[in-house]
Amino acid sequence: MMISSPKVISNLLFKRILTIIVAVVAPMYALAQSAAGDVIEPPKEFDPTSWDWVSILIWVLIALIVLVIARAFDIGGLAESVTGKKIASANRINAWVGIIVVVLGLAGVFWEISEHGKYLLLWDAASEHGSTIDSMFMWTFGITFVVFLITEFLLFYFMFRYQYNENRKAHYYFHNNKLEMIWTIVPAIVLTFLVLRGFDTWTKITYRGSADHEDYKKDQEIEVFAYQFGWKARYAGNDNKFGEANFNFISGSNPLGVAVGDQVDSLVVRLNAQIAELETKVKTVKDSAQLWQSQLDKLNASGLAQVYTTQAKALREKLDDIHSGAYEGQIEKDLRRKQTNLKRIAAYRAMPAVFNNAGNDDKVTTEIVLIKNKAYRFKFRARDVIHSAYAPEFRLQMNCVPGMSTVFPFIPSKTTAEARKTKGNPEFDYYLYCNKICGAAHYNMKIKITVVENETEYNTWLASQAPLVAPAVVEAPAVPATTDSTAKPAMAIR
Amino acid sequence: MSTASLHSEHHTHDHHDHHHKESFISKYVFSMDHKMISKQFLITGIIMGILGMTMSMLFRLQLAWPDEQFGILQTLLGKWAVDGKLDPNFYMGLVTIHGTIMVFYVLTAGLSGTFSNLLIPLQVGARDMASPFMNMLSYWFFFMSSVVLTISVFIETGPASGGWTVYPPLSALEKAMPGSGLGMTLWLVAIALFIVSSLLGGINYISTVLNMRTKGMSMNRMPLTIWAFFFTAVLGLLSFPVLLGAALFLIFDRSFGTSFYLSDIYLEGVGALENIGGSPILYQHLFWFLGHPEVYIILMPALGITSEVISTNARKPIFGYTAMIISLMGISFLSFIVWGHHMFITGMNPFLGSVFMILTLIIAVPSAVKVFNYLTTLWRGNLRFNPAMLFSIGLVSFFISGGLTGIYLGNAALDIQLHDSYFVVAHFHLVMGSAAIFGMFAGIYHWFPKMYGRMLNQNLGYFHFWLTFIAAYLVFFPMHFMGLAGVPRRYYMFTLVKDFEIWGDTNKLITVAALVGGFAQLLFLYNFFYSMFRGKKATQNPWGSNTLEWSTPVEHLHGNWPGEIPTVYRGPYEYSRPDREEDFFPQYVPDESAPEVLEPVKTKSAPQTEEVKETEESTVFFAAIKKVFGLS
Repeated sequence: MMISSPKVISNLLFKRILTIIVAVVAPMYALAQSAAGDVIEPPKEFDPTSWDWVSILIWVLIALIVLVIARAFDIGGLAESVTGKKIASANRINAWVGIIVVVLGLAGVFWEISEHGKYLLLWDAASEHGSTIDSMFMWTFGITFVVFLITEFLLFYFMFRYQYNENRKAHYYFHNNKLEMIWTIVPAIVLTFLVLRGFDTWTKITYRGSADHEDYKKDQEIEVFAYQFGWKARYAGNDNKFGEANFNFISGSNPLGVAVGDQVDSLVVRLNAQIAELETKVKTVKDSAQLWQSQLDKLNASGLAQVYTTQAKALREKLDDIHSGAYEGQIEKDLRRKQTNLKRIAAYRAMPAVFNNAGNDDKVTTEIVLIKNKAYRFKFRARDVIHSAYAPEFRLQMNCVPGMSTVFPFIPSKTTAEARKTKGNPEFDYYLYCNKICGAAHYNMKIKITVVENETEYNTWLASQAPLVAPAVVEAPAVPATTDSTAKPAMAIR
Repeated sequence: MSTASLHSEHHTHDHHDHHHKESFISKYVFSMDHKMISKQFLITGIIMGILGMTMSMLFRLQLAWPDEQFGILQTLLGKWAVDGKLDPNFYMGLVTIHGTIMVFYVLTAGLSGTFSNLLIPLQVGARDMASPFMNMLSYWFFFMSSVVLTISVFIETGPASGGWTVYPPLSALEKAMPGSGLGMTLWLVAIALFIVSSLLGGINYISTVLNMRTKGMSMNRMPLTIWAFFFTAVLGLLSFPVLLGAALFLIFDRSFGTSFYLSDIYLEGVGALENIGGSPILYQHLFWFLGHPEVYIILMPALGITSEVISTNARKPIFGYTAMIISLMGISFLSFIVWGHHMFITGMNPFLGSVFMILTLIIAVPSAVKVFNYLTTLWRGNLRFNPAMLFSIGLVSFFISGGLTGIYLGNAALDIQLHDSYFVVAHFHLVMGSAAIFGMFAGIYHWFPKMYGRMLNQNLGYFHFWLTFIAAYLVFFPMHFMGLAGVPRRYYMFTLVKDFEIWGDTNKLITVAALVGGFAQLLFLYNFFYSMFRGKKATQNPWGSNTLEWSTPVEHLHGNWPGEIPTVYRGPYEYSRPDREEDFFPQYVPDESAPEVLEPVKTKSAPQTEEVKETEESTVFFAAIKKVFGLS
């Protein structure tokens, strides 16, 4: 070591470390403060009357109870030494508590199975592959439950049976190769069985969704589209062909971004308008700054800034953004994004393979209707973040991932009406939930699935759904405009 | 410049004088003594644990009584609970930060950091860690990380709230949810600091174990705790950098316009984004490449502690010492090739899913071996139920219950139904949450005398154990049934879905049990801090244990042993040997009856001052590297 005096080194070290900490933590804290400090309403005043005193008292009470219990134990503290008979008494109590807990616990387990068992979906799958999952579950449950009972019982039984006795010595028992071999091999064999069964079940379920499967072409595809926070379904329409879709085409009136010429063209118009608007904004930054400054000055001069605090603050923030360049930066970012969007649309628009009118008769619905015993393949897309399509009654779950499509093939085997009857609940409906955290309203993101008995019911429903482009008797340019409320004013202005 | 050299220099003057002229700062704050650092980890871990537990109580209140208004919530949370009703965004934030704190801050740093630091030098017979300085840095990076994460809870837009796995695009797009703004940035900073801390610690643990064992302490005489810490450190060293990579890509995507994880996104209120070509699934692969080993990083130290505590208190050798090590090794190895079981339904190729399923279920074999070995250790033992032993038995119970449900979730076919449902919540809270925290409690109760020279109150410990044990089962067991009925996790409330309304009562039961469990932790906290100052004075070897740490004096010394480091003569689990009168036979006590079998007792080692000086950290470090890569 170059420096030998530990004192010097440690002093140096502390200095350096302190510098590092200050350098890292302080700005972080400042950042957090500046983010938090401005916006949270300034504490009006110290007002204890607004506090929830009942709750506070309850918490204080709890704290007191803890202290009292704790003190009681301290004073009446029983055995704490290691040797002697004292531990035996504490041991006996604990061993008995263990027995009581395990007996009550196992009773609770059986009670739960009988009580909650009826809510479970185990014997009630509403899809064909679902029953294979259920039987897989039953095998796993049977095996693991026996192991669970035996091992938990042994654990607490040993605890009771072999509690401390001064006069006894534990069995000096290091290892036993035969025994260890047995409990390596037996679980291995059992698991091999479960693995093989699971492999078989899993492959059969998922393989149907792969394009090499013989039934792939026969199965009807339905697109299930996830977004914050809801679902939409797309049926292929009369031509049985889905139109191409792309996230660049998405707009308020075309939420799935299907390649429908009129829709996309009106989106282009709107994008151009927005771009022009943004460009003006960039050009008039100075004017905006002046305007806002003068407004703020007026507020300050008149003393009204004290009254209209939010307005004053908003102005101040806007001005800050202008001065720091954040305002222009944001606009430029938006501009670039919209221009890219336009460029990409233009590239696709020129491709006849994309704009092949296949999507015109596609039907976008807010409910999924299926026919019993018909093979389906859900094809999932997501618009913004990862969602997960979860329809537990059908044993169906698949993530919806932006940038890629995922599939799940299945055959519904029970109509909604049948399910209502067996469940004794006339209001029951199948739902597809979101099961991947996706934002604040994650818990309320669902779409109804109705399984009907026959084709007729299905056709009636499908006929009631409007296609993306109304079948044109006369050329109808008004279609996108009427469904799109945002498009109109934008076009009116420019 | 290691402290060890500094202190041993001191010992030459007076072995018993450990009152250095150290300032408060160098003794308690920037300490380089492994025992002090372990205490720092423990206390920080406990504080973070309180934070994480409080958060769970808050969202449990919401789940049990979604329509109720709790004044206390408004008092505590202000704008996040207007009229005493928790905000959905903040609910997500609580869930996320609860997970992050518990997984990383309590059960990784709090558990591994505390006990690896305390026990590795003491149990292998070293005066300190290979690099005390890096050890100190490890703690302070962890501390900074904790501070940053805690700050993130208090900012205006709320903490990161995309779940503790922070999957992009949700976590990458600021506009996707409020928590994905500054909160997420701070989360990433905190995790990056955490990883640095973890790596600094891990390198140290590995080099200490490999290089600094005392005379006679061959690898196959090491206590199972050390084996567990060793494998844990190796896992951390190999997997945490991958998380850092994942986090860096995410930082790039968030701030520098790259598209590692982003493609084809249209965001409400923003429009179509420019990013194309990335894949959110890439993040999941990277994350779970850490994430799965992380589960074992959490669990293995707890298993190691339990092995030690059970053997000591059963007064019986641990059954199948070698099998225990091999199963730890097996688990460690397998943990790197099973990450895909978290991703069965992400749209990954189904064939890949089947491969991951097979590999995953293999882990059940070494786990089963461990359970059976624990049971056989208890069989015909002479069991003393101090709180540490009870918590260890509790761990085995949780490990069984939670481990068995792993067989369901590892099965890709069943995972279709169970993925992201409450079944998963039940599974991992039992097998890695409760089991690991019980391992940590077992460790605290067992080694408290070593850490603070005082005893914890046993009776309070009993209360703490039984309340926590029963509460944990009441909280997590019913969740299996909710999951089997298809109730998704991370839902803010279930009242908007008719099918889930039947679980209202269950949710209330769970919350009440959770509150009781939380109450029990208050007893522990009281016991912990009270006993630290006022507890009964500990004797040198209060549990009649065999391992080396109990040969050190009760009063802490720098360099651990006042004189020479004791020599080790046998394995750590020689309890109740038929040829001995006492029911334990410490590793460091020579066997007078058969001296000829043993290695020479008196080593010709030079006075320890020089011995220690030789262990320059760089030498040790490079020796460790060489050893790891088989170069020496």
